[in-house]
Amino acid sequence: MDKMIICRCEEVTLGDIKDTAEQYDATAREIKLRTRAGMGYCGGRTCRPAVDKVLEDITGEKPGDQIPLKVQPPVRPVTLATLGGRTNDT
Amino acid sequence: MTHKQMRIIDHPVLGAMNERDIMTFTFDGHTYKGFKGDTIASALLANGIRQLRVHEERGTPRGIYCNIGHCFECRTTVNGVSGVRACLTPLKDGMVVTSGQTEPVPLNSEHDVDELPRTYTEFIQKQKAHEAGDSDA
Repeated sequence: MDKMIICRCEEVTLGDIKDTAEQYDATAREIKLRTRAGMGYCGGRTCRPAVDKVLEDITGEKPGDQIPLKVQPPVRPVTLATLGGRTNDT
Repeated sequence: MTHKQMRIIDHPVLGAMNERDIMTFTFDGHTYKGFKGDTIASALLANGIRQLRVHEERGTPRGIYCNIGHCFECRTTVNGVSGVRACLTPLKDGMVVTSGQTEPVPLNSEHDVDELPRTYTEFIQKQKAHEAGDSDA
């Protein structure tokens, strides 16, 4: 069970999150920053419900509390080149 | 080539698959064939290719996951443009597709703090050393 991958982008397992919580007596936000769960390429759009639930179970914090697990999911990741005006025709 | 592919050619609901234009493309240097209307991911899957990239740090395999453009697990490099989702990108004739490989991690927290690069020049040096195969640098 602990080998189950919660966040695929950063390859964070349930065990990683549990270990971090135990080792650092961390808040939900701190666990997220230490493990990078939900902070990968996809912006947490895939794993966020799972990350929220796992962190809530482990720390007892409700997601969206006073110090929220800040989420800024992009519509899609874009490159600096795209922002700079390059057209992407692939 | 097509007879080797794994495809549903007669679907109970959608009916038989019509004749389609065949498109040739390369993936990591090997040439494959797909049909017009394929995505890169579906064409590769039909050719038995499930691994589209590896995790940049761990090197573990990745392929189609959500298949709706959400998760970016299937991102590949297409004609030199990185981060292209294989599951959403329609196949075109002559496409050059390459899989994602592992990247150097010179700033990994598992490194000794004293060994971390302190300047950009040092960073570049370490990266070159990594590319040369010296993983300890």
